[in-house]
Amino acid sequence: MGYHNNMKFESELNQISELALASIKSRYRKTWAGFIWVIINPILMFGVQSMVFKHILKIELPNYFLFLLGGLLPWIFFTSTIQMGTPIFSQQGQLLRSFKVNPWVLLGAQVMDNFVNFLASFLLILIPFFLMSEKSLGMLLLLPLALIPLLIGTLSLTIILSILNIFYRDVNFVMGFIFSLLFFLTPIFYPKEFIPQEYEWMIWMNPLIYLIEPFRQVIHSFNGTLFMISIFKSLIFVTLCGFTALWVWKRKRNEFYRML
Amino acid sequence: MNSTECSEEILKVKDLKVHFYLDHYYDRGLRDVFISALTNPFDYFFKQKEIFYALNGITFSLSQGMRLGILGVNGSGKTTLCRCLAGMMRAQEGSVETTKEVRAIFDTGTGIMPELTGRENAQLLARLFFTGEKEVKHLVEESISFSELGHFIDAPFKKYSKGMQSRLLLSLISSLPADILILDEVFDGADVFFRQKLAKRMISFIEKAGATVFVSHSTEQIREICNKVMVIHEGKVHFLGEVEDGIKAYMGLNPETLIQK
Repeated sequence: MGYHNNMKFESELNQISELALASIKSRYRKTWAGFIWVIINPILMFGVQSMVFKHILKIELPNYFLFLLGGLLPWIFFTSTIQMGTPIFSQQGQLLRSFKVNPWVLLGAQVMDNFVNFLASFLLILIPFFLMSEKSLGMLLLLPLALIPLLIGTLSLTIILSILNIFYRDVNFVMGFIFSLLFFLTPIFYPKEFIPQEYEWMIWMNPLIYLIEPFRQVIHSFNGTLFMISIFKSLIFVTLCGFTALWVWKRKRNEFYRML
Repeated sequence: MNSTECSEEILKVKDLKVHFYLDHYYDRGLRDVFISALTNPFDYFFKQKEIFYALNGITFSLSQGMRLGILGVNGSGKTTLCRCLAGMMRAQEGSVETTKEVRAIFDTGTGIMPELTGRENAQLLARLFFTGEKEVKHLVEESISFSELGHFIDAPFKKYSKGMQSRLLLSLISSLPADILILDEVFDGADVFFRQKLAKRMISFIEKAGATVFVSHSTEQIREICNKVMVIHEGKVHFLGEVEDGIKAYMGLNPETLIQK
């Protein structure tokens, strides 16, 4: 049985990568510019924000570009994946109704697709800035440790929200609103040390920090112990998200197919 | 197609019950939930949710060679049962036991990425259906030639008519036999000529399958394909037995709604 499950999991991973590739191809085919836009979009975001926060608001922080990059790009990946992934079951409802297709394959493919875009734009900005700073490139070897919780956490939350979206069709609208608030309440363009003590609780209630913090550590302000702690915290958070996603799916599975 | 040689049991369904909460049945949004929770908090948080039993204790088994037709009026639980057999839905009580691979088809008018061509969609779908199958490429080519779509096969799937879509999908689906095959009203959509061509292929396809569950409103198709009939009514097995008796039992349920069939 275990062997059988392994085989199944492996073939599902294959299906995910195949679908993700097809989806990249499909967007690429629709318009050339569309593909560039996906990568240019976060780069422009980064350009404008770094200009505003560094030169207009004058946030004083060494290596501010790297600091902003470590918060902004994961944030863009997280929010855009949720916004693109949440409606996926409503959009592919007919397919899911018609065949026994694992819904997670569809969602996984969307997340992978976004992840590839994120990595491309992230590395495109990161490498020049990293070279300009006097940091050693070897630090980048730690990046996968930060990437894994970000990927799993985003996937789990997207699963939960995409199921919810089958029952309440305006989840994405509400999430857009919540994200616009969270952007300011999450230490993305300012360091968490700037926050006065009486407001610190707001940060600890905001789960996003657990996904972003490891990135900050790797590309901006590395400290071995703090890095391990941030990874540990993010893994706990991600495990909780994963189990919640499984629990929601188990509970709502039948009604999900009923409502599709 | 009338041999009722039923030997080894390959799928067992025992006292299957599936219920739904009627609460979600209004197409509402989170904003509506917010409003009703604020305006009527007591009702919202404490009111008992109404439960609807879609399946209420279904027991039967499929044996090798069985071609079970399922009849029942709309909303009687046919599709819910098929979704449970396929492993898409999970029963709250009772069990579905099988060691075989179940393939289920509920509709045929759907592609996976409409911007891609028919050929590419067929390839993707083949990967999704035939897990671990190495001859996907060959299957796709064979189905494409069966579908007679010609040069349309390299046009975007979204430009296809409904009938062309179902041509391609039905050809693809019927290209590889399954241990247990579930077909829920799948013949709709294709034109008469293609349907005739397809019917032959489907019958040989069904014969190759270990067992088939065939849902249809057309008693003619049931007669043609099945060797047993089950009539479901209000989530229960109303009748299970020979084809002609089953059709009679079905006709007796509610003659008015059946006249046009």
